[in-house]
Amino acid sequence: MPEHMEIRCPKLGGQVTFAYCLKEAGELPCSRIINCWQSYFPVEKYIRKRLTPAEWKRCFNQTPKEKILTLIELIEAAKNKPVK
Amino acid sequence: MKQTKVFLNESEMPRQWYNIVADLPTPMSPPLHPGTGQPVGPDDLAPVFPMNLIEQEVSTERWIDIPEPVLDKLCLWRPSPLYRARNFEKLLDAPVKIYYKNEGVSPPGSHKPNTAVAQAYYNKVFGIKRLSTETGAGQWGSALSMACQMFGLECRVFMVKISYEQKPYRRLMMMTWGADCIPSPSNLTQAGRKILDEYPDSPGSLGMAISEAIEDAVGDKDARYSLGSVLNHVLLHQTIIGLEAQKQLEKIGDYPDIVMGCAGGGSNFAGLCLPFVRDKIHGKQISIVAVEPTSCPTMTRGPFAYDFGDTAMTTPLLPMHTLGHGFVPAPIHAGGLRYHGMAPILSHLLKEQIIEARALDQIETFTAGINWARTEGFIPAPETNHAIAAVVQEAQKAKEEGKEKTILFNWSGHGLVDLAAYDAFLSGKLKTYDLPEEELQKALKSIEGFPKP
Repeated sequence: MPEHMEIRCPKLGGQVTFAYCLKEAGELPCSRIINCWQSYFPVEKYIRKRLTPAEWKRCFNQTPKEKILTLIELIEAAKNKPVK
Repeated sequence: MKQTKVFLNESEMPRQWYNIVADLPTPMSPPLHPGTGQPVGPDDLAPVFPMNLIEQEVSTERWIDIPEPVLDKLCLWRPSPLYRARNFEKLLDAPVKIYYKNEGVSPPGSHKPNTAVAQAYYNKVFGIKRLSTETGAGQWGSALSMACQMFGLECRVFMVKISYEQKPYRRLMMMTWGADCIPSPSNLTQAGRKILDEYPDSPGSLGMAISEAIEDAVGDKDARYSLGSVLNHVLLHQTIIGLEAQKQLEKIGDYPDIVMGCAGGGSNFAGLCLPFVRDKIHGKQISIVAVEPTSCPTMTRGPFAYDFGDTAMTTPLLPMHTLGHGFVPAPIHAGGLRYHGMAPILSHLLKEQIIEARALDQIETFTAGINWARTEGFIPAPETNHAIAAVVQEAQKAKEEGKEKTILFNWSGHGLVDLAAYDAFLSGKLKTYDLPEEELQKALKSIEGFPKP
């Protein structure tokens, strides 16, 4: 099983196992998982077996957002939570 | 004795940051608010940033004064020395001169405090009492912790739990500088609690830590959020690196043919390169190369090619092994310069073909880093190794072409708190896995009928 294999994560700046990459986004793999692992083994084939087509689409076929838009979305979400 | 270092006096330190937005040949499109469809305005960002930083974020002024209190703090380690890597040149045996800006001389050991200090200052004068942020491995978190302490601000850092547990030294640096370092997901925020309810053993992610830091800042009128990369004002603060380098090179009568830096979010690359981008826009012949800190493929199972040549950048494709069987390559957002974490200014410069991008394999980068440490002495941060590996490539190219080249790159930080990564490399854990087909089939079989998450 490849889950134990390690790689340096470019997002975190530290060592992670493939198992971490598989659940980095909660129920979904990290969106960079294929980019990072493709040279080690046919990761795409592996992931396609794990995910439904809808999950695959959610994980890999999203148009990337600019950071500032991600921040705006998080601000809007946080505004709806109680103030300390 | 030949000259190895070029210093500037503190009195020669740049007094202004350089804003590339003023010189872009084509304007950048403003980001549109996902809710209103209108361009994002200052009020949209006000819950997380002080207005003085928002003004810098949207500024089109070419030069922006560096406040005196910021200079007072920066001069604890700045101006950083410009080095000539003569020993590494000797090892490469190529017709190149290699200069590097040593940003590892700052107290936390990287370029990050250049903006952390400025951000802490602007928040302080705006009346903010506490900053909240996220950190992966802790480089940014430690820089902001130090900066907040310098200006009497409280600092709360949400550190991705897997790193919090793996990287005690960065965590301890933050605590030593007085910050509150919290493993994310945490019970402090609703976002964190939701994840912990669903996945009590969650190792966290950078996305989750950002959510927590934003929620933490928005929920406290005396707090704001701070980001260590990507945004325009962050890149602006980092330009002091390139501005110093220009003065230092001028002192010795040299100028680079190639300027390079590693580019994750883009701040260290931009910091060195943007003043040279200005020169290029005004006619200088110079190559400016961003090197991605991603562990992408270099050919263990056949040819891969990253296509950084298109200009649309709408559906970036990563050419991949298709494994036959009519397998259709998946659209993958390939690499930092194309994923949402990259600075829009750099994406724009790439689209305009003013800068280039390159991606390197982690084995190649660590090999370069080890060779660097064994010749120049300093142990580079793993991300810095990407720039060093690209320098090696350029030197080899110069040798093949028989052309003399002058290369400048940003030595963005030391690796003394990342020795575990060197341990992984030296002990063979980062080797390229040659997973045999039968083992792969076994692995695939084992997940047949795998419960879909």
